[in-house]
Amino acid sequence: MSVVQQTVSILLNGLQLGAIYALLGIGLTIILGTMNFLNLAHGALYLIGSYVGLLTIKTISLRDGILADLGYQDVGLGAGFLGALLVVPVVGFVIGVVMERTVAKPFYKRPHTDQLLVTFGLALVVEELVKQIIGGNTFQSATPESIFGITTSGPINLPIVGAFPRWRLVIVLIAFIVIGLTGLLIARTDWGLIVKAGTHDSEMVTLLGVPIGRSYALIFGVGAALAALAGLIGTTYLTVDPGIGTQRALIPAFLVLVIGGAGSVRGAIVGGLVLGVVVSAFQQTYSQWAMIAMYMLVAIVLVVRPQGIFGSVEVEG
Amino acid sequence: MSEETTQESTSDSGLIGTLVESEYLPVVGFALGLLVFPWLLIDGLQLIGEFIDVSIGGYQGLPQLVLIYGVVVVGFNILLGFTGLLSFGHAAFFGTAAYVGGLMSWTIGDPVVMTIAGAVVATLLAWPIGFVSIRRSGVYFAVITLTFGQMLFFWAMGPGAWLTNGDDGFSEFQTSAFLGTFELDQPVLDTLDLVVFQLDMEAYTWEYVFVGIVALIAVWTANRMLHSPYGLIFKALGENQQRVSFVGLNVFRYKLMAFIISAAFAGVGGAMWGIHESYIHPGTAYYWIQSGDFVIMTVLGGAGSLIGPVFGALIFEYVSNVISGVSLPVIGSIGSLWRIVLGGTFVIVVWAFPRGIYPPIRDAVSWLGSLLTGQGGDD
Repeated sequence: MSVVQQTVSILLNGLQLGAIYALLGIGLTIILGTMNFLNLAHGALYLIGSYVGLLTIKTISLRDGILADLGYQDVGLGAGFLGALLVVPVVGFVIGVVMERTVAKPFYKRPHTDQLLVTFGLALVVEELVKQIIGGNTFQSATPESIFGITTSGPINLPIVGAFPRWRLVIVLIAFIVIGLTGLLIARTDWGLIVKAGTHDSEMVTLLGVPIGRSYALIFGVGAALAALAGLIGTTYLTVDPGIGTQRALIPAFLVLVIGGAGSVRGAIVGGLVLGVVVSAFQQTYSQWAMIAMYMLVAIVLVVRPQGIFGSVEVEG
Repeated sequence: MSEETTQESTSDSGLIGTLVESEYLPVVGFALGLLVFPWLLIDGLQLIGEFIDVSIGGYQGLPQLVLIYGVVVVGFNILLGFTGLLSFGHAAFFGTAAYVGGLMSWTIGDPVVMTIAGAVVATLLAWPIGFVSIRRSGVYFAVITLTFGQMLFFWAMGPGAWLTNGDDGFSEFQTSAFLGTFELDQPVLDTLDLVVFQLDMEAYTWEYVFVGIVALIAVWTANRMLHSPYGLIFKALGENQQRVSFVGLNVFRYKLMAFIISAAFAGVGGAMWGIHESYIHPGTAYYWIQSGDFVIMTVLGGAGSLIGPVFGALIFEYVSNVISGVSLPVIGSIGSLWRIVLGGTFVIVVWAFPRGIYPPIRDAVSWLGSLLTGQGGDD
């Protein structure tokens, strides 16, 4: 493999990984920026998105868990990827709104440490609930065969890199469409204006007579929907088990937040891509060191530029 | 009669009063607790279990495990409960000390030497990690400590496998006898003859003695430190960091010291944990879940109270090791449900009892005590 070939391959894989990281990071960062609320249960939303997605796409057979014990061995809607693309964000949004009203709201005035602790406990409960209901075993990924009659599985021949999984390109496309739509939502709507103003100074927004409390639930819902979507995308090319919420979503999301800067949507996108490319570069060269490199990058950013690439102020604990 | 009682109670308050006033009350209480702890945990609960027909007694070795985690969280509490810094990376020090202790046993296998070696390396490791992490606060501090812990986890799993034996786990412990004479797994006495009946002393092994002594030293040290002017600065940092800097104190230095001290405790606990388990896997030594467990134990028991976290460790280890195996008449086997119960309890504690479960119990006991002594005076 030539150097050019490898570089392009690293960038492509990094783009795909980074797009998912960015989705996770945006959700976390808008919640932190506007509500000043730290959500360690963000990974749980990804987990819910993964399982809801899996159950919507196809029918899976369960071996243990409460559902299997009740006699539902084969569960799932079998509605395909497009069906899941509609169902998952809605489920994520509703859960997000409920979470904001019940869990987050009583903690807005409490210290950050309390917020971290309560959402950490919530994440544990969600993970265990999933394990109890669906069972702890690992499910295979559900890559769609085709969308709108266009084949999406199998390899595609790209210039320079050669054979590349077709689905990975679709993932990049979907992720960037979603990111773009979120960007438009924030840049072009009145609601987005409130979000932007809120991330800047939520107290001032309240003083101007804008009922920001009403927007909070909406913002939480959007953030949760993005995390759930990331979970759905993960389901289509990675295996699914109850531990993925933390491993694949929560930790990367916080690392993205730290690299990009708290409260900055642009930072979350750039941070996600940077993290994705670095991890992908090490995965293809020194794979043993990939995870270490990811954490090392974050440690370096924290020391050299504590506010993150695009952050202006540090969030005080 | 009333005169007599009054006289007695005044003379009592002379002796007990000084103890109650003394800062050493928790340490004395802890020491007394250590004497009966294995018996209560194993035989006492067994006895209760027989009445309700559910086996809820602890097993041999559980008391040590509780005390080992107790040492870790008493130190962790200095950081979280008093200084107000939430670390998600203390497994780094816990795990490192366990590995260092294990490697040390190849040359000198005395548990005391192994524990000291582990603690020293953990403390030295905490210096650079703390130096970098303390610069940030809040979530940044939590994330950066997490990153260091996770780096060590992935290092131990992959590139560091030549030393840690990676995913296969490290089991080459060559632990010798405690102080060269006392075999760790032997009980101190077989039975204790109490005239009326004989007490089973199997659970009081030399390992328990060793861990118990270390735990007592740890609690005493933490207690002394928190009552010293130095420890007061930690508390002040937790209350209001800005005012501490206004007084002219070097905030960074004190935070760093709190971090290093808590890491030393984690190191002592980690090394003893290695000795106790005789098997270390990166997943239990270094993975962030371990750090999270320290957080759960501390908060559950009572962040900000000296002994509280030890109760947190007791509940955590008891639930995860004993209750998880209990089979109830109606619900059936509890099995893996324990984590839901624990997680739920944790959420409720953070939500409604931010001080943890120990301080309300302590308050209730001292209230009852004052009620009793008050009544004693009235009689």
